[in-house]
Amino acid sequence: MKFIFTLAMKNLARYKRRTVITAIAIALGLMMYVIVDSLLLGIEVESERNLLWYETSSVRIHTKEYWPDRLLYPLEEGIEHPQQVIDILKQEGYTATERTMFKADMILYSDDFGEDGNLSVLVTAIDPDTDNQVFHFEDTLIEGRLLNKGEKEGIVMGSWLAEDIGAKIGYWVTLLTRGNGGFFEAIDVQVVGIVNCPNPNVNRTLIMMDKDSAGTVLGMEGSVTEIDILLPNRADVDTEVIKIQTALDASGLNNLEAQSWREMAKDYLAIAEAKRGGTGIILFLVFIIAAVGISNTMLMAMYERTRELGMMRAMGMKDNHIRLAFIFEAGGIGLLGALAGIVLGALGNIFLVEVGINYGSLLRDMDFGYRVQNIIRGTWSIKSFVIAFVSGIALSMIVSLIPIRRALKMDIPACLRHQ
Amino acid sequence: MSRKLSLLLIGVLIFALPSMLFALSAEEIIHEMDRLSTFETTYSTGSIQTTDRFGTKTSLFRSWSQGEKDSLIEFTSKAERGQKILRTEGSLYLFYPDAEQLIRMQGAALRQSMLGSDISYEDMTEEKNTLDNYKAKLEGLETFKEKECHVLTLTAKTRSVAYPIQKIWVDTESFLVWKAEYSTAQGRLLKVMEVLETFKSGDRVLPKQSRIEDKMKKDSATLMTVDTFEANPKLDRSIFTLENLTW
Repeated sequence: MKFIFTLAMKNLARYKRRTVITAIAIALGLMMYVIVDSLLLGIEVESERNLLWYETSSVRIHTKEYWPDRLLYPLEEGIEHPQQVIDILKQEGYTATERTMFKADMILYSDDFGEDGNLSVLVTAIDPDTDNQVFHFEDTLIEGRLLNKGEKEGIVMGSWLAEDIGAKIGYWVTLLTRGNGGFFEAIDVQVVGIVNCPNPNVNRTLIMMDKDSAGTVLGMEGSVTEIDILLPNRADVDTEVIKIQTALDASGLNNLEAQSWREMAKDYLAIAEAKRGGTGIILFLVFIIAAVGISNTMLMAMYERTRELGMMRAMGMKDNHIRLAFIFEAGGIGLLGALAGIVLGALGNIFLVEVGINYGSLLRDMDFGYRVQNIIRGTWSIKSFVIAFVSGIALSMIVSLIPIRRALKMDIPACLRHQ
Repeated sequence: MSRKLSLLLIGVLIFALPSMLFALSAEEIIHEMDRLSTFETTYSTGSIQTTDRFGTKTSLFRSWSQGEKDSLIEFTSKAERGQKILRTEGSLYLFYPDAEQLIRMQGAALRQSMLGSDISYEDMTEEKNTLDNYKAKLEGLETFKEKECHVLTLTAKTRSVAYPIQKIWVDTESFLVWKAEYSTAQGRLLKVMEVLETFKSGDRVLPKQSRIEDKMKKDSATLMTVDTFEANPKLDRSIFTLENLTW
């Protein structure tokens, strides 16, 4: 066996050019696989993070009556004593913030915007002191400033929305809305900040104002529509939801329910699941392309050795030993290719993870479900490197069996005459 | 001197007494206004013309009503043909024939605009019991469109009404509301309703054409026209049932 292994390795060294070319072909195929897998996985990871950081948070608390009518944003179904809930959550070790969401007609004036107009918007009233502990808008400010606590007339806008309507810092708009109970109310507000939120769904529609000021105008009497909670990255969301719900129930707040982001973003998850099937197919095709490349190179490399194989048989070497020697040789080429492939893949991935690819112009006017705005970044997946490494070696060995088998079936003279 | 003063006072009293005795309070005006706009049953046809920055759209309808609480509107114009809105006590249902779908509107959903007009579903469910929801104050008399009108300011008693303040011009003779201004609690004018044409049904004067203008949105207005009107026709009670809505 040692002899066979040594022979295989000597053959590898003997045909240096062929070994290198075959290994490069394998390496390029595997690198392509690693990079595509990294990008597809990266979109999912970034999308999920942007969903949690800018849209849903990890867990949300609202009243049981609010959820069925959530698309209408009913202010009447608010949480009456949010501070009590926040205190309970704090005792349990959670970071939380209060928010009130309401629909409004945003009236634009020709003085600022050049022409009069109106559009339907969703306003997020936040607590400027605590919102950034749960959400991450702080890092996305590109113009002006963020909201101050108790600020009556300021709003912060998503950059895509501001771009679409031509809003600039200092412009005035009126929010025409319905207060708690149903009465009409009009609020004059000024754009004080513009944020470029990486979540495109939020960046297209975001309008934020101070919760207390909104609450006064809307007649909320201290209530809010939701309390959002941030969980550490690796927390088991479902377990935490049960824990939070138990704490609420134990405090007699039975009318409140905690929901995980998975529950809130069911639509997104359904789309992501469907897309995952699609990305699986893409990945499979990439794998097939890589496999065909590897197979082709290996087949050619083995076929051109038929005469050598015939000579070995003529010299009395057993078929099994010949087969094993060639499989080892193919495995060696596969190993070199796989090593080079994962090194190249890793180098390419450093760029993808650190810099990413800017698809901004493509994604600006397109909603493809994922919460990724401009730059699509890759991610590190050990699984994909392991698959690439193992399949690079295994494929090379398996594919080499075909020409060996064929050559071993031929007569020795036919092998020796093979061109 | 004191005799002269006494005579003067008596004179003033003689002239002022009838008007003091017969002057209506704000509440009485509202009662009368509500009473005269309510019929036992009605059948009417008409149109709703909605104008906004995208253009003008006209929807035709026919409607049946019974007392204060029950009404049914069926749209007959091509785009909305067969769509029905049924209002019964405290409930509002929409029927879409294409989808064969019946939707119960409640809570915040009632605040949505009806066919993109300046009228919300909630405006339709509003019952004619103004004094339950508003405190009325008589501001005085004013001439509007050559008609002498009582001017009243209605201030909402609850938060569950759409317009916290209403200022209305009520005809002193027919008790028709010629004009209404709807404002926020801070007095910001939101909408203005004005009756453009009237018709008579028996001894009552009713609006034939009224215009509702959204003061917050430029070029946004709704013109509501009643083409035919029948007071107190005999109506089948089943008209105002859910079974009837879906046939």
